[in-house]
Amino acid sequence: MKRSSPVYFVAGGTDLLTSARQMPLVGTLVDLSGVHDLAFIESSGADIRIGGATTIAAIAAHTKLAARFSALSQAAGECGSMQIRNRATLGGNIANAAPAADLVTALILANARLKLFLPGGSCAEITLEEFRSGTGALIAEAVLPNLELLPRSAFAKLGLRRDLTIARINLAAMAEFSDGRFGSVRLVAGALGPHPIRLLRAEGALSGCPLAPASLRVFVDALAADVDAAIAGRASHCWKRRAIRGLGLDAIARLCEMSPRDPLFDETW
Amino acid sequence: MDQVARRIPLIDGIEKVTGRLRFTADRKLPGLAHSALLLSPRAHARIVSLDPGDALDLPGVIGLWWHANTPKNGYNSSIWYAGQSALADERMFPPVVRHIGDRVAVVLAETEDIARAALSRIAVTYEDLPSVLSAEAALDHAGPVTDADGPTYLNPVDEIAFAHGDLESAMARADHVAEVTVRTPRSHHCAIEPHVCLAWPEPGGRVAIHSPCQSVFAVQAVVAQALAIDPDRLHVTKAPIGGSFGGKAEPILDPICAFLALRSGRPVRMALNRQETFTSTRTRSAAYGRMRIALAADGRILGRDTEVLVDIGAYCTGGSYLPGSMLQRLVRLYAIPAERYRGRAVYTNTLPTGAFRGYGSPQIHAIGEIALDLALCDMGLDPVAARVRNIVAPAARDPWQNLPLGNARGADCLIQGAETFGWTGRRAERKANSRFRCGVGMAVATHINGCFPGEDEASTATLRLLPNGHAELVCALHDLGCGSDTSLAQIAAETVGLNASDIHVAAADTDTCAYDLGTRASRMTYIVGEAVRQAGIALAAAVAEQAALALNAQSNEIVLRCGRATANDRSITLAELAAWLSTRGTDLPAATYTHRATANPGSYAAHFAEVDVDTLTGQVRVTDYLAVHDVGRAINPMLVEGQIHGGIQIGIGYALYEDVAVDTGTGRVHADSFARYTVANAPEMPPVRVLLIEEGEPTGPFGAKAIGEIATIPVAPAVVNAVNHALGSRLTDLPLLPDRIVEAVVQIERQG
Ligand SMILES: Cc1cc2nc3c(=O)[nH]c(=O)nc-3n(C[C@H](O)[C@H](O)[C@H](O)COP(=O)(O)OP(=O)(O)OC[C@H]3O[C@@H](n4cnc5c(N)ncnc54)[C@H](O)[C@@H]3O)c2cc1C
Repeated sequence: MKRSSPVYFVAGGTDLLTSARQMPLVGTLVDLSGVHDLAFIESSGADIRIGGATTIAAIAAHTKLAARFSALSQAAGECGSMQIRNRATLGGNIANAAPAADLVTALILANARLKLFLPGGSCAEITLEEFRSGTGALIAEAVLPNLELLPRSAFAKLGLRRDLTIARINLAAMAEFSDGRFGSVRLVAGALGPHPIRLLRAEGALSGCPLAPASLRVFVDALAADVDAAIAGRASHCWKRRAIRGLGLDAIARLCEMSPRDPLFDETW
Repeated sequence: MDQVARRIPLIDGIEKVTGRLRFTADRKLPGLAHSALLLSPRAHARIVSLDPGDALDLPGVIGLWWHANTPKNGYNSSIWYAGQSALADERMFPPVVRHIGDRVAVVLAETEDIARAALSRIAVTYEDLPSVLSAEAALDHAGPVTDADGPTYLNPVDEIAFAHGDLESAMARADHVAEVTVRTPRSHHCAIEPHVCLAWPEPGGRVAIHSPCQSVFAVQAVVAQALAIDPDRLHVTKAPIGGSFGGKAEPILDPICAFLALRSGRPVRMALNRQETFTSTRTRSAAYGRMRIALAADGRILGRDTEVLVDIGAYCTGGSYLPGSMLQRLVRLYAIPAERYRGRAVYTNTLPTGAFRGYGSPQIHAIGEIALDLALCDMGLDPVAARVRNIVAPAARDPWQNLPLGNARGADCLIQGAETFGWTGRRAERKANSRFRCGVGMAVATHINGCFPGEDEASTATLRLLPNGHAELVCALHDLGCGSDTSLAQIAAETVGLNASDIHVAAADTDTCAYDLGTRASRMTYIVGEAVRQAGIALAAAVAEQAALALNAQSNEIVLRCGRATANDRSITLAELAAWLSTRGTDLPAATYTHRATANPGSYAAHFAEVDVDTLTGQVRVTDYLAVHDVGRAINPMLVEGQIHGGIQIGIGYALYEDVAVDTGTGRVHADSFARYTVANAPEMPPVRVLLIEEGEPTGPFGAKAIGEIATIPVAPAVVNAVNHALGSRLTDLPLLPDRIVEAVVQIERQG
């Protein structure tokens, strides 16, 4: 590879080839979809490691991963359509860096770290928040540190349709939950800004509380307050500050392995 | 009968699913030149200059055309016969562009990539003109918007008023008068096949046009007008179509493609990409309707006052017919003693509108049925019972055209539908105060069967026996993918004792077919079907006459069945008959019949929907659906059901998701891709049940009436009415996007 010619990566091509943006006319396009060593899910060790070219379908189907961090499995399972999931990759979702990227919301929740191959040939490890696309770095793998994972997690999203829909908001939740009571709670929402954000008010409202209508009511109000802080004044604000309540209940119901139509949640309303 | 009323698969189905059928874009012609259009980024602007830069120097570029070097003839892309009078305000390339996506220039090149690359080298200088971006704004622009380059651009383009009975006294007598306004969105057809056209020079100064269209004769008429040439110089053939729904009713590329073929002497291909199909073809017009309904305590509608404003976009096309079409369909549904209607169509600097499955009916019935439901709700009246009381009876006449509505079976649809759906019980149970609310709603609709009393509502079919004993059907037919070729083959087969698969349907061709209006106005089965049936009867008689000779019998003794002619105990296959005739030097029998319509009965439908509404997220799921249709008689029940299923899919999109959404500040089309234009996908489809009312229409072939367009018409109001039932809301702005639902719920909660 000549140094002077710029290098671009393509994996599933589901963003790059469908984008309205023009493909660059000069440069080298490197297809990562055939690079076997970049496609793996390693969930038996302490930290979970997922190769950059792993398909979203593979992530969605991995039962051991689901047992440890179901928010990511669920985000993968709801990403695009079956045809998209079969081609789309984790690295592409991260590098494309759309505000609504579903997997990124779940990865931020887990405080994921990225292993990169840099243009000069060296390697680096950074946090996902530190990653900037367009630097020529190759995402070799995402690492989900064991210490960051809480026992339960879930993902939920809202788009215009139920399926094959880009999120207007997505939400990933992770918590300790036993005997009907929450311990620590972490929440991250996407599409409320350029990057997914933590919902600290809502985390505070739910941490240490029982799963009961009274605490859920405080929780959904806090979710709305988090949305107010993030996007007040935007056209979508009115809808998002209400919709997040529904999305929050959906995520918590999923995390507790209950139906959002369970009377417990219905009474919250 | 063994061919009609049967679930026969599409006669071209295997070709389609095996990919053997060649669509226009698949055709490779030797020496084919490719084109790309430069489209306007401005809503309304004069083109001051166009600098080709080095576009013409790019290797492979053949030429560049724009308003300065193309014919300046005005035309109207909606005309369907040569010389038809219609506001001819469109040009191949106008000097003043009137909407974002309007045509500025075309490049012809050896490949499409080269043509598109050349576009980026062209620099156009525009001088912006004031633009009108909403129908309301258009009303303030009564009079010329610009006379820059004629034809004068006047608002309203069309206005129609109608009054019947004593409305004032009806309003005064009423126990309740409700006033409701409804807005329907601009929607796009979303055919899988984007617009495409091929044209090539033919000997004798002629040009051939091959395109997926809805009428080869309409293409011929429009192109002749645009090029100001004799229609006989245009040889138009129908290509297999990858969906239209009205989107390909008007030739958009064909005039330019024919021009380029004549100018370059080469076969030329024009093909739009998906985004261009969204921004530069046609849409269903957005409408605003205000209705005042005077009700008696028992649910009788005493009077109705309707005002409709239709945004027809930047060119007249057929948009000026819309206020009249809407009136026609509105007054054929209920028997109302006093009716007043005013409809106006206005130009705006937005993309042009045209036909889309129902031509005004989806808009007007959404307006009427949503308004009626809210009026009935005010009075606590049952929506089904009240509609049964008001719906027209068989043999009623409409008050506007005074035409008999035929065997109108709307009441049967309502009564049998309510029973099958379990309406009464389901309507009564409504759980309030929970996050997810369930509701049921319904709506009825009527639609036309052809263009009668339009004087040109006629169709000519020719059926001829083939040497192999099959028959060929020649008629300017356009199966838009819904299976009309199959239904018509069934009708032909039934009359001459063949199987539907033995009928070879010739592709429409202006050189070999008699004039036909094409596929529009729900006329295929009802009008063309009757022409085919009569031609079939005549062919059967001609075949019987010959068979009688062959079998030494009387022609009235001949029975035609299963490809055989039988008399007494002697029989001959039609192939043998054909061979026998050939050896005797006799021409094979053929028959041509021209059917002139004498009626325009109504098709009726009642749809019932159940919805589940999330009051927090505003998401609506349609969870159960029943469609009841008065089809007279189903020639092919499976295809009828297919039409209804597809109609429901389009209607759910209309109710809940689809909006081209032109920005009223900039004129930009927001939803110009499938990423932004949301249609209902398979997961959004409810379980669908279909119930057919088959009471027979005496004027239709084998009693049949139309299904194609009406299938989608009641869907949106049924879904909206169900949502209003679930929430106790008065939502009337379509589509019911989550944001609108949430806003309504918040408002209801505030009011306690
Ligand atoms: C119909 C449709 C539906 C979709 N639905 C969703 C959805 O629901 N949720 C969602 O989040 N996304 C969705 N997407 C977007 C897309 O599928 C995802 O973002 C996907 O993960 C992209 O992966 P890819 O391998 O296809 O990326 P590509 O298109 O191959 O690449 C995208 C970008 O990432 C870069 N890149 C790829 N791999 C690497 C790597 N290993 N290291 C560095 N850079 C890399 C490429 O250079 C390019 O700039 C949808 C897309 C489509 C077309």
